[in-house]
Formats: sequence, structure tokens, C-alpha cells
Amino acid sequence: MSDSPRTVTITVDGREIECPEGQLLHDAAREGDVEIPVFCYEPKLGEPVGACRMCLVEIEGIPKLQTSCSTPVRDGMVVHTRTEQVKHAQNAVVEFLLVNHPLDCPVCDKGGECPLQDVTQGWGPGKSRVIDEKRHFEKPIELSPLVAIDRERCILCYRCVRFSQEISEDAQLQLLDRGDRTYVGTFDERPYVSPFHGNITDICPVGALTNYTYRFRARPWDIEQGGTVCTLCPSQCNVSLTIRDEKVKRVLTRDNHDVDDGWICDKGRYGFEMFEAEERVAAPRAKGGDELKWEDAIEKAAAGLRAAGPGKVAAIVGDASNEEAFLVQELLRGVLGSPHLDSRAYRGPDRDIALELAQPELSAKVKDIDSADAILVLGTDPLHSSPILDLRVRKAIRRNGARLVVATERPTALDGGAEAIARYAPGEARHFIGELTKAIGGEDTVATPLAETLRDAGKVVVLWGQRIDHDSGSASTLLVELAKRLDLAATEGAGLLEIPDFTNARGLREAGVLPDAGPGLSETTTGYSVEQIRSALESGDLSGVILFGVDPLRDFPDTIAWETALTAADFVVSFSMHENATTAKANVVLPLETHAEKDGTLTHPDGRLQRIRPAASRPEGVRSNIQVLGELSAALGQTTTVTNQPAAFEALTKGVAFYNGITDEDLGGLGFRWQDGHSAASLPQPRFGDRSVSEARAADVSEGLLLGTYRDIWAGPATELNPPLRFLQPKQRLELSEADAERLHLKTGYEVRVSQGDQHVDALVQIKDRVPEGVCFLSEGIPDANANALLNGGPVRVTVSQPERIEV
Amino acid sequence: MPHELETRVLLDHAEDPRLRTLDGYKDLVGGYATQERAYKEIEQDEVLKELEDSGLRGRGGAGFSMGKKASFLPRGEMAKYLCCNADESEPGAFKDRELMQRNPHQLIEGIAIAALAADAGHAFIFIRGEYDEQADILDAAVAEAYEAGYLGENILGTHRDLELVVHRGAGAYICGEETALLDALEGKRGNPRLKPPFPAVQGLYGGPTLINNVETLSNVPRIVAKGAQWFRGFGTDQSPGTKVVSVSGGVRRPGNYEVELGIPTRDLIYGLAGGPLPGREIKAFYPGGSSSPVLTAEEGMDLPYSFEAMAEAGSMLGSGSIIVADDTVSIPLMALRTARFYHHESCGKCAPCREGTNWTVKMLERVVRGEATPMDLDIISSVQDNIMGHCLCVLGDSMAMPVAAMVRKFRPEFEQVMAAAAGMVEPHLVVDAPPETLGASV
Repeated sequence: MSDSPRTVTITVDGREIECPEGQLLHDAAREGDVEIPVFCYEPKLGEPVGACRMCLVEIEGIPKLQTSCSTPVRDGMVVHTRTEQVKHAQNAVVEFLLVNHPLDCPVCDKGGECPLQDVTQGWGPGKSRVIDEKRHFEKPIELSPLVAIDRERCILCYRCVRFSQEISEDAQLQLLDRGDRTYVGTFDERPYVSPFHGNITDICPVGALTNYTYRFRARPWDIEQGGTVCTLCPSQCNVSLTIRDEKVKRVLTRDNHDVDDGWICDKGRYGFEMFEAEERVAAPRAKGGDELKWEDAIEKAAAGLRAAGPGKVAAIVGDASNEEAFLVQELLRGVLGSPHLDSRAYRGPDRDIALELAQPELSAKVKDIDSADAILVLGTDPLHSSPILDLRVRKAIRRNGARLVVATERPTALDGGAEAIARYAPGEARHFIGELTKAIGGEDTVATPLAETLRDAGKVVVLWGQRIDHDSGSASTLLVELAKRLDLAATEGAGLLEIPDFTNARGLREAGVLPDAGPGLSETTTGYSVEQIRSALESGDLSGVILFGVDPLRDFPDTIAWETALTAADFVVSFSMHENATTAKANVVLPLETHAEKDGTLTHPDGRLQRIRPAASRPEGVRSNIQVLGELSAALGQTTTVTNQPAAFEALTKGVAFYNGITDEDLGGLGFRWQDGHSAASLPQPRFGDRSVSEARAADVSEGLLLGTYRDIWAGPATELNPPLRFLQPKQRLELSEADAERLHLKTGYEVRVSQGDQHVDALVQIKDRVPEGVCFLSEGIPDANANALLNGGPVRVTVSQPERIEV
Repeated sequence: MPHELETRVLLDHAEDPRLRTLDGYKDLVGGYATQERAYKEIEQDEVLKELEDSGLRGRGGAGFSMGKKASFLPRGEMAKYLCCNADESEPGAFKDRELMQRNPHQLIEGIAIAALAADAGHAFIFIRGEYDEQADILDAAVAEAYEAGYLGENILGTHRDLELVVHRGAGAYICGEETALLDALEGKRGNPRLKPPFPAVQGLYGGPTLINNVETLSNVPRIVAKGAQWFRGFGTDQSPGTKVVSVSGGVRRPGNYEVELGIPTRDLIYGLAGGPLPGREIKAFYPGGSSSPVLTAEEGMDLPYSFEAMAEAGSMLGSGSIIVADDTVSIPLMALRTARFYHHESCGKCAPCREGTNWTVKMLERVVRGEATPMDLDIISSVQDNIMGHCLCVLGDSMAMPVAAMVRKFRPEFEQVMAAAAGMVEPHLVVDAPPETLGASV
């Protein structure tokens, strides 16, 4: 590119280093293998603050020492980091930092992996001259229920405060008081509440911020680190698991700029105790709870599936690796002779649309968000559905001046940074995208304010939620038109980026778990989609179902219909990590490995194949999922050689045309986008149909409030099965507008019953000023008050009543 | 009547209370004529050149050429700002208070002309919160100037605009540091910013900003009116002009005296301030506020009072505030008092200042309690050395310079105090309360 900075040469400690002009000296030196010690500097946090003074260096021509973290390099710059003058400064700063540091290393969790220890060892004076009293604080105290703060150990490096101010933008952490009395805290000592706040424990260079989940659990010399990928949401953040005695004790970030930018959310960080939860399916079992031997379990499952009859078994896949998904579809299509399989909770677009949306030139990378000129968030709230992308969008606005527009049913966490916001009614995503497309084309529609920002904006990244398809199943069809109007295919750095409902939705689709597409989105005999599977089970058209890592009774719409369907089914095999309402209905329950235990690959929504590596040991009764699928296949009469991950990976990359030739080495530690591989062109071409922009719809005038649903970040097993996260378990809240609340005589906090037909959900009223009139929202996935119970596949209207009016 | 050693320029007619009003300012000293001429007849570059040629050095402490600083501002359409630093908080300095109190319009006119030189459309006077009376006076004067059309939109029909806001600080010494001042003005916690970028390039709200002290800006109208050569007729080659000097401490007539720079320091301390109280002798003095390295009477009394002479003597003219210590003053206690001030005012952002001020106070407390040894004096010196040049702003150095000078120049007195206190502990000096627990919830 023409605007990239020119390369210059600088000399650091006699070493010539080539680096881009304007790069910060500290980074340039590091790339040239010269380490300059730092505390406050952390590139992830944005602009340097130059507060700790640890990185002072001598630059020829400048009389005073300069902070290398904040000095941009110039051509011919000559830098010294080891002269007497610099050593004097380094010794001085280390000594100052230790003046008030308690040096309680023997009992400090950070001991052994502490930057302050390392820098003291490497650059400190080596002796202490301080005999004076150190400052004292009450300690440790709860900064939040998950993070403890020890203010005596704090060296006031500003990192955690900058994280709160500039990364998660919650502005809760502040430095209070001043001088050496300064301390990190929150207003009025309130707990620090943010779904990202665990990150401050990673960036703290001392033992001041520690996780309650890890305090006094291990020392650095009796742990190992295992790099893998978190599978709790589609962000697929790269993590490093701390293992002691073969069990996960801690989750740390593993920086991958292409995926997570070095941050993880609290669900990913603290959601590891569920691996050891009581509810874990630790061995195969039959209906009613009798534990089965593996051989018997496989035989029983095979017998049941065989008895269901050829072509009478369906499969639904959710939390699975690419290989597992591929093997399940092989089992179903190849062994059981059935085309009925799906990997979605709702009916979705057909294969042609899936193919169009998968075209490499249309798809944006996560990194494209950083340099986008404009971002459209469409039909999703990243904070709930892919939290780390919420941070990424904030970063793009803050550091790159990206312009944001938001079009959703429900108010989002990103609204505050948006130039224009549109709220469409639940179920109207398809209509809205049509109007937006027209508006970008120059027509005056309801979406014109958004179109003004997006039209001719340059690089536009569209973050769209799979949720837009929930009601019509076809809203994503119109994305193709929208993409054309925005010229995404021809613009480098622009594109579509999906935020799917399930972690590995893209991988499952590409592995062939779709009713109308085989591996690699190839053409295949069309089978039933998820909703058809449900009806067919109910009607007896299908008699058996394999549920792999899915819990339809929690996660799928129309809970009652699913309950009926699973009850009606002759034979249900449930592969599950934990016991849940669905496993209770299964004839055979087979345990699944967690992402800490299994080996496999995932495909990120942007097409990046990432490797999950086993870090912890499996419970005794749990076997490799791939091995189990192989054994099940064999028991059904089809002997397979695919019984381990390397073989499964090979089968996958052979089976999916555009994965051909991708190797484990390509994936490495940071993953590999298939769009960058040699076989990307093997993606089948879609048949282009007529996709005219939708017609305007007549306003619905029926009674009641239109119900919109969302999935709260904390509504799910990860919250319930992890004791440290339980306090975050959300209560069902009925969000509605002030006007509707007034009309219904409701106030925030009232207990109400929300009814649709003969179904109802109890909730607390929450008046929200950004909720449009006539609409209300409930969260899916909340036990005993699940919004899914009210859904029936189309737009739903609900009535709200107060219990005392119901009770006689 | 002014003393014969004084040269009244800025304080011309200072005793006349009418000077405070716009009419009085016009009648007594011909006020606002220069602004009118500058706005109507003089180009930005000419004003800049006049200021640069005058050699006017900043009166806030650093002594940097005002004209040069103004010329650093980039040209262009972006919003530019001018800030008047009236956060006069240095112990020993009270000259800006007098200038604002007695002649507020001189400052406002100076700001208006400097804004022309800097092409700034918005100006602020950041005045320390404790200067309540002076802020009221300024508020009234600014209102008068708006009324008379010297501020606001389309000033004097020249299509130039200038908004001037008087902003009261909340009482932190650090906000007198120019970048902390900007943060405070923006509504943030007043902490110094990393430099570069310098405010001239990226200052208030990210725009180019010229920041000058009250006295510096008060000089501007006359320089533009009478020319650089007239200004250079006062003072020395490197320190042109007059200076309002605050003299305090052990003298008979403490107060502000406007003198030509370069007059003998003795004239200031003895001639103007009346010398030591009866029966006392002058031991040492801070020549430029409490952050300047102290000079012993022998060292400093016969030096010319100029930027260059003070620098050559290893100290500095700073804001031009002399604090005199006579022979009854205990230098170790003076060192402790100085250190405590900077410890109390350190913002805590950078490690050397935050911890260095705190540690120095603790060591000096041990010295006066008699719980120290001569080795501790070496450590104190070394710690001052470790602070100097390593901090984010100059606050750390402001303690390190005077404390280091005191320990170096009065070491025997420190040792004597230490030994005496060790023998007979003075009860009121002992700090034996249990260590304070900070931030405790209960």
C-alpha cells in the first residue's frame, strides 16, 4: 500500500534494526531482540501513558532520557539501553516501585510469574535501602465477587484503569486520591461490574488483582499451560488453560490479533468449573439413570437407531468440532441412510444463500473491523452474542474513528457510539434490510438515516446476527443485495461477518450438517430441516433422533412442541456434556468432552480454522468423541478407520472441498482462514435466483405487545454450572417502553405474567427508555422462565398481566 | 509611592483602585488602545515577530521565550486555544495575584492580543480556586470587556471572535503544570500528560494551545504598543524586561516589587524588602520559589537577579519568588516542610515523583526525629538524584532540587540536628501514630 510508512533503520545498543517509521521505540527494539523493561506500557491498551518511567532510554542528540514506550522512531536514531545513565534510571525506578511494595512474594499468587519480580531481577539495583514504613490498606478486598484487590501490592501502573476506561469503556475503575495515597477503586466502593473485567487480572503486572477462583490454588512451578480455543460463544477466543493435576484451574488470554485482540470475556475466563460440575455426564447411561458400560451403551444406541429403521433417524448438531460434525453427518447419511440433519435452532436460508454468503470476497475478517470506515451492526447485540466483538467495535470507533450504525430489534450495548440507530419490530428484519438496501440506493425510506452513513462510506463491515433469520428464515437472503449496494465484494477490507447462534455454526455448516448441503456445502439429497424434524418426530414420520451437543428444550423455540416431539420419538440418543432437560428424555446418554479435553478444529465465523487442543484429562468414564462416533458407526455395521483426531481431520479436509490441503501445520497456534488456502476456489458457485427487495408490509394492528427475544450473555449452563458465576444468573425481565408500562399500569420491578396462547412466563418488569412502543423483550434460555416457551416460529404477540389479577 | 529601586511597568498606577475598571484602565494607562490597533492594523506575523524580538521569557517558572512558544502553533483552520495559567500555587509566589487584583484589564488585553498572535478563538483563564476575590475581579472585568466589545464576536468590527472564560481550579498544585491544567480544564482529573505532543501542537481538546502565565501575558500589551526595543531597554540581554518579584520569609517588608531584571539580589532583599528582622542574619534563600535550589547568603546575595545568573549559580529564577531564611530557621525542618508540600501535591501518576517524595519525607522525618544516621543523608541525596530528570513532569524535580541543595550545602546542620534529636527527642516532632490505613471502608 502506498500509505504504509517507510522502513527506517535505527541502532539500539549497537544493533541495527529495520522498522517502520513512527513505530514506538519500545516495540521496534523488541522486534530487534532488545528488551526494554516496562510496566505501564501495554500495546493492547492503546496510547502509551509514560507513567511508570521504567522504559527510559538514552537517545543520542536528546539530553534527557526518554520513555521508549512513547517515542516514535526516526531514521538513523541511535539508542542506548544499557549505559550508566540508563542503568541509573532503571535502578532508580525499580527502587521507587519497591518503596511501597510489600515484597510478600512468598505468599503472593503472582510470585514466579510476576513482571515486577522479573524486572527487579533484571534491571533493579539488587539491594534495598528502604527501612521506612510502607503504606497500608485493608486487604484483600472484593473489587468484584470474582476479583480481589490488594492495594498494597499495586504499583499504580494504570493498566487496569485504562482497560476500564478505554477497552471495555465502562469507566468504573478510577484512581482515587493522589500521590502515594493513590489507589485503584470504584465510585463509592461499588463492585466492578463488567462482563470483561477478569482481563484486568491478566494485565496486572503484580499480584494486586487476583482471581478468587485461583487464589492460593497453585504455584507457577506446579502448573502447565495448554493453549486451546474457548467454545462458549462464536467469538472463539484463544485461551491458555492453566492445568494442575490434569485439571483446569485458570483460563488466561492467548493473544491472537486476528480473533480476540488479547481479551476474553468473563464467561470464558471463569466458566471452567463446569468441567468438574456434579451435573457433568461422566459416563454413558440409559434412560432413568442406570450407568452403562461403554460397550453396552454403544450397542444399545446402535440397536435403537437400527430399530428406528432406515431413513427414519434425524440428527441435530450443536456444540461440536468440525470433525465431530463431519462424522455425525457421515454416520447419518452414510450409515443410517438419512438426509435429515441440521445444525440450527431455526429454519435458515437455503443452500444457495449459504453459498453466496460464504463467498470469500464477501466475507470480512475480524481484523477488518479495526480498519473499517463504517460498521453496520445488524440484528445482533455483540455484547450478548459475541462479546469480544463488542470490544472490537468500540476499539474501531475509539482508535480509528469508524462510524457505527446499529439496526436491531432490541437496544444494544453499542448504541451509545452509533451515529444512527434503527429499531425494527421483531420479525421485520427482512423488511428492514430491504428498506435499507433501497435507502442506500437513494430512495427515501425508514432506513435513510443509516444509509446516509453507509453510502459511499468506503470500507463497510456488516456484523449481522444469525438471529435475523429467526422469524422469516429468509432475512439473510437480502444480505446479498445489501452487500451489492455497499459494493462489499469489490472493496478490500469490507465484507459481511456473521455472528451465529452457536459457537461453531460455520464449521458445522461447512462440514455438511445442513438439510440441503453436504460437506463443503456440496449438493445433496434434501432432508428435513430442524423444524420439520420436530414435526416429523411428533407425527411419527421420523422415529429416532441423535442430539449432539444440543439442548432443544432450552435453546430452541417452541419448547412445548419440542417436548412433545422428544416424547413421541421412539429413540433418542443424546450426546451431552451435562445433564439437562433434554438428556432426561434420552434413551441413551453419551458423555461429551469439553473444550479443555478434546482435540479438534473449529471454524470461526470469518472462516478461520482453529485448533482445540486437549489440555486437561477427561473424567474416567468419558471417551474421545471421535472414537465413540467410530464405535457407533462400527456397531451399525460400517467399520471405519476414523477413530482418532488426525484421521478425522484428514477426512474432514478431504470431504470439504475448500478445506483440501489445509494441514495441522497451517493451523498452527493462531489458525488459518480457508479463504487464504489453495482450495478456496473449490467453494461451489450458487445458482443466482431472483431476490427482489421485499415489499412493504401492512402494519399489524392486533392486540398485545409484539415479543422480541434475545439470549442474555449470562443465560445458560456456563453461568449455572460454574459456582463463581452463579451470582450473575439473570432473572427473567420483561423489557418494555415507558408508554406501554404506563398504559398497563406497570413499574420497574413489578412481577408479571407474560402469556401467549396457553403458555406463560413469569418476569420482572424493566422499563427501558430505548425500547420502542408496542414491543417487549424477554431473554431465551432462562430456566423456568424461558422465552422460548412462548415462541412458535413466527411473530408472537403476548399479553401481560399481574399475578394478583390472575389468582382468584 | 514606588521605591527608587523599583521600575513600575506592569504595576504602573497599581495603587489606584480605578485601574480595576475598564474606564480607569483606559484613562490611567491608555488601556485597550493597543488591542484596538493590533486588531485593526497589525498582522498576526507582526505581533509574533514583536513578541519574539522582545525576548520576553515566560514568567511562570520555565523562562521559555514567549514569542517562540507562540510561533510553534501550527497554522490552519483547526480550533486553537489560549490558556492563561493563573494557578499560582508555588510556595513563595504571589505576584500573579497582585497583577490580577490590581489590573485585570491589562491581562485581558494581553490575552486578546496574544490570541491574535496564536490565532486562537477561545481563551481561558485557569485561576486557582483559592483566589476567590481575584476571580471575582476577573469575572467583573471580563464582563466589562465583553460589554465594551473587546471580547466576544466581531471584536471592534474586525470580524474576529474571542471567547474568554474564567475557570476556577479546585485547589491542586499540579494543575499549574500546563498539561495537567489542560486535563483539569477538560473536566478530567488534573494529571500531567505525556510530552510530546506539546500543547502547542496538541493541547486543549486536542487543538493547538498556547499556555502562558499571567505576568507573561500582562507584558504583551506594552510590548506591542511600544515595541520590542523599548522592552529590551529594561533588564539584561538574556533577561529583558521588568519582573514582579515576590519577596517573603524573614524580611522586614515582604511583598511584591517590580524591578528590572538583573538588579543585584541584595537590592531586592535588603533595599526593597528591608533585609532581615532586627538582630537576625540571612542564612539562605530560595531565589525562585520553593522549587528552586536554595542559595546561601554568601553565594547568592551579590548575584544579579536574572535568569542567566541564577542558572549559572546552580539555581533558577523560576517564577521570581524569593523566600528568605534567616538564622533562626532550621534548614532540615525547611527541607522537610518543602518535601511535605511536594509529597502532598504529587499527583501520583509517575513512580519517581510519587514514591520519591513520599520516601524523602519519611527519611527527613527520621532525620529530625534523630532516627537517622549520616548514611541516610547520603541516601536522601541519592534519592533526589534518582528523581531528577526521570519524572513525567517537573513536580518531582521541584522537590528534589531544593532538598538536594539543602542537604549538600548544609550537611553539618543536618548532622547536628540528627545528633541533637537523637539525644533529646522533641515530643511534638515525633510521629508515632499507628500507620494510617488508607481507603478502608470502615
